[in-house]
Amino acid sequence: MVKVQLNDVEKRYGPTVALAPTNLSVTEGEFLTLLGPSGSGKTTLLNIVSGMTEPTGGEVWIDGVDVTNVPSAKRGLGMVFQSYALMPHMTIFQNIAFPLQIRGLPREEIRRKVEDVLELVQLPHVAGRKPKELSGGQQQRIALARCIVYDPSIILMDEPLGALDKKLREQMQLEIKRLQVQLGITMLYVTHDQEEAMTMSDRIILMNNGSAEQIGTPNELYFQPNSSFVADFIGQSNLLDATVAGEDRVRLVNGEIITVRHDAPLSHGQSVKVLLRPEVLHLREIDAGGNRLDATIRGSVISGSTVKHFLELDGGTSVLVEELSNGTNAAPAPGDRVTISWSVGQARVLPA
Amino acid sequence: MSADPQANRLLKGAAFAVLAFLVLPSLIVVPISFGDTHEMVFPPPSLSLDLYRQYFGDPQWLAATWLSVRVAIWTTLISLLLGIPAAYGLVRGRFPGKRLVAMFLLSPIMVPSVVIALGLYIYFVRIGLSHGELRLVLGLTVVTMPFVIVTATAGLQNVDPNLEKAATVMGAGPFTVLFRVTLPLLKPAIVGGSLFAFLMSFDEVVIAWFITRAGYETLPIKMFSSIQWEISPVLAAVSSLLMLFSVVVCVLVVVTRRNEPQQ
Repeated sequence: MVKVQLNDVEKRYGPTVALAPTNLSVTEGEFLTLLGPSGSGKTTLLNIVSGMTEPTGGEVWIDGVDVTNVPSAKRGLGMVFQSYALMPHMTIFQNIAFPLQIRGLPREEIRRKVEDVLELVQLPHVAGRKPKELSGGQQQRIALARCIVYDPSIILMDEPLGALDKKLREQMQLEIKRLQVQLGITMLYVTHDQEEAMTMSDRIILMNNGSAEQIGTPNELYFQPNSSFVADFIGQSNLLDATVAGEDRVRLVNGEIITVRHDAPLSHGQSVKVLLRPEVLHLREIDAGGNRLDATIRGSVISGSTVKHFLELDGGTSVLVEELSNGTNAAPAPGDRVTISWSVGQARVLPA
Repeated sequence: MSADPQANRLLKGAAFAVLAFLVLPSLIVVPISFGDTHEMVFPPPSLSLDLYRQYFGDPQWLAATWLSVRVAIWTTLISLLLGIPAAYGLVRGRFPGKRLVAMFLLSPIMVPSVVIALGLYIYFVRIGLSHGELRLVLGLTVVTMPFVIVTATAGLQNVDPNLEKAATVMGAGPFTVLFRVTLPLLKPAIVGGSLFAFLMSFDEVVIAWFITRAGYETLPIKMFSSIQWEISPVLAAVSSLLMLFSVVVCVLVVVTRRNEPQQ
């Protein structure tokens, strides 16, 4: 069932386009993430759904009702802010009870629901405290509990983990994901952190310059990006300039010809980009059907579980190779000549 | 801070000298107020509570005090009622000429009291407003409201707009947001602003003197005229009481500030 449906919504400020006409549907129980750099339109899109920004065109439907002209308060949404937005003058209990009181629930039912949801976020002991007495991670869990408690049709989260340190952020990602799956919450999540988006989302919308660059599962965005922006934004990538030299062959700038995979038909002589993920590349030659290129080592860095090799192809293009480190990796010295290779089908052609 | 003990002593000495310069002239009336009823001299030749008895036993002094209290209460209430919405508009609103409007609203602080007083006097005569107490309330509101606006503006700037947004998304209507989120968070600013407004109104003499009518003597006016005509030592008792009152109000302001959670 479709929970939220956007039909050609757009937002302009005079001649400036904050959001180009965008279509989108979020299905029940789905975790959908709006990912993109700042200024890409992801927060504008979220605010249009929440009703805090009025679109200059298009329609917003929630639960099968056109809410384009319905104020925020009547849309039946939940929202979690980066600043938590817990009421500093209320206790945790009062904070979570607040939306229930607005809905006029009887006192006894409110008490039971608040206790249940505190149990759910594993903070039953903080009911009597004020928000500032809790840690950032705890406050964020309370902010989420305050949404869960009144069962909104969708929960919007605006960079909710931006204020937390890396370790806590990773913990909270799993915690939020667990609750979302367990309770079947429909979630629209905004972040600029691609790892966060990959970890949590069922689908990701990658925003760029006010429009959706690509919509797909984390897998699709990573392995089948449809533009070099997507390839570059999601994960690490080597993007090599090339021209089409045959049915499934391209010529790199240094003249080498490699075999590639592509979705759209290619025309001879067309300029393209070749995507090679650092982890599909090997520093030694693998099976005979693979592609290979000669290169020179410029440096290597061990970052714990992986080793990164910075190489230069003949012709001057830089390439990053990432291999699992096992402690016995032969450590090539700068200046060493190596051959990099990859399985056929791992090189992907993108429009230049 | 300097670690040099001598420089530290010097700094402390200077601080106390400034403090003495500021408060001694006010404090000198306290011992005099415990003197006798014939003349104001320092030090008082003998100690007694006669001057306080005289004040509390004089219906004219009490009537002036009571008028000042009534006017100050009304002035404060009207200042809050107009000042808080104005502050809200100035902080949250987006409209052209906002800075200009803010300047106009705060201008009574900068314009000399005599000018405001004269203007009010001419204006009240022109519109034929002859009710003595109403004239005082309206006239004094002009000078107290800017103080409420200043404190409420500062308070609102500390209230995260996301709190109001969050309440709205949760389904709260504008009144619920106002009474359950914004105003409770503004409480320290409102309490501080109204205490100041009350004191300002209670203290005001220039404007009150200009616009008041016969039979509507506020406490400061009564003090002023009794200095002019008789220099009654009972003034010392009244001044001491006023001072005590101001100190109590200031302590209240400090205490309410401290008890509220800082965000």
